[in-house]
Amino acid sequence: MRHFKSLLFLACCIPFYSAQAQLMKKLKEKANAAAERVMDKKIDEKAAEVTGVSNSGGGSNSSSSTSVGGRNKAGNKGGAGLVSTPPDVKENLTNAEAAFSGAKYSEARYAVQQAMLGVELQIGQNILKSLPQAIGELQYNVAADQVTSTGWGWAGLTIYREYEKGDKQLRFSVANNAVWMQAINLYFNNGGYAQSTGGKQNWKQTKIKGLRAVIEYSEGSGYKLSAPLGQTSLLIYEGVNFANEQDFMKAAEQINVDNIKKQLGEN
Amino acid sequence: MNMKTAILITMTLCCSQFLLAQNDFKKGLNEARASYASNKLDDSRFAMQQMLYELDMITGKEVLKLLPQKMLDGSIVAKADNVSGASGFVGVIIHREWGKDGSPDKNISMDIISNSPLIASLNALLSLPFIGNTGDNKVVRIAGYKALVSKIDAGGTTNYDLQLPLNSSLITLKAPGLSQDQVIKLANTLPVPEIAKMLQ
Repeated sequence: MRHFKSLLFLACCIPFYSAQAQLMKKLKEKANAAAERVMDKKIDEKAAEVTGVSNSGGGSNSSSSTSVGGRNKAGNKGGAGLVSTPPDVKENLTNAEAAFSGAKYSEARYAVQQAMLGVELQIGQNILKSLPQAIGELQYNVAADQVTSTGWGWAGLTIYREYEKGDKQLRFSVANNAVWMQAINLYFNNGGYAQSTGGKQNWKQTKIKGLRAVIEYSEGSGYKLSAPLGQTSLLIYEGVNFANEQDFMKAAEQINVDNIKKQLGEN
Repeated sequence: MNMKTAILITMTLCCSQFLLAQNDFKKGLNEARASYASNKLDDSRFAMQQMLYELDMITGKEVLKLLPQKMLDGSIVAKADNVSGASGFVGVIIHREWGKDGSPDKNISMDIISNSPLIASLNALLSLPFIGNTGDNKVVRIAGYKALVSKIDAGGTTNYDLQLPLNSSLITLKAPGLSQDQVIKLANTLPVPEIAKMLQ
């Protein structure tokens, strides 16, 4: 009977020890993996110091190849990238005409959309050219210039320019021909923004170059001025680290709104 | 007025509208070219928008021509044929009914919304089988395309609507009084691949 009890005790203990051993093994593996990650991070940081190329992904991927699921994928070392050419308007109109004559309406539609995209990108570039090179001490950031268009539809045409010096920045964007713009202009023009006199005023109605506008202030993002232009355009000025409202408005006044209006065909 | 005369009048009206639309497209094309050549970019763009509108209308009318002349016992209600809307926002709506004139609630009807951004949500619904095939909804295949049949309770009666998304377009078939299987059978008589080709 005593032997039987001992055997029973042993039988109960074996799984416990086995489980404990497995747990210890797992803990050891986890510790090893963590140590490896720390080592890899240190190596990456050291390599970044020497080469000037950072591997911020946090993993142990090298710059030339990666190992995913046991397969080696070659990393891209460079290339000419994509050629960013706006669609040829005349060519696309000719294509649209040909497709329409052949009753290929879907193709005709695509060609007209492409032609429209080409025209919109040209309008955007013309507006960017008309903007000042500098506003006061702020210089324009050539790399940040952007014209985006979807041809025709919900998003429409957007034009973006940045002026900066140190941490002071003026961002200017124009949104045009977007379907949602009609609704927002209706909202602005009908006093959708109610104004209060009590409490801390973070926004108010104002004017910029004769246009009705709304100016807002936020501790986190600075000043923002929104001015609807005509039926389907909106001008947005964003100022970061401007001393006060007057300073920001003075900078915003430097932009020639009349020319933008003319380019966009707004009244 | 006999049936033959009515069909002739309808066809003449359709042809004249089609020719007018074609002329408008060509007029828009000439305007777009001339404005672009004289650097009036916004005018050129406006002319192109008009061209897109004309193309949407022509495409809609061409889609109507593809649809069957009869659905069950109902003939086309010519008066109810309609192509309206604007692409890029709510989309172009193509509408047809089969049945009796003046009783739209009882007629079999079909709406096609093309170039609509609202279609993406339905596509998402169809791609999730657990959501698509729940309770009152059933995902089926019509001519190889996934479609959703939904149960609709309308004033004590149960109807089934079938919705079939095609890229940025959506076909909706309504057949009041028919069972789920009958609606699916009816949808299978539609020329879906031809419509898809026309709207792509």
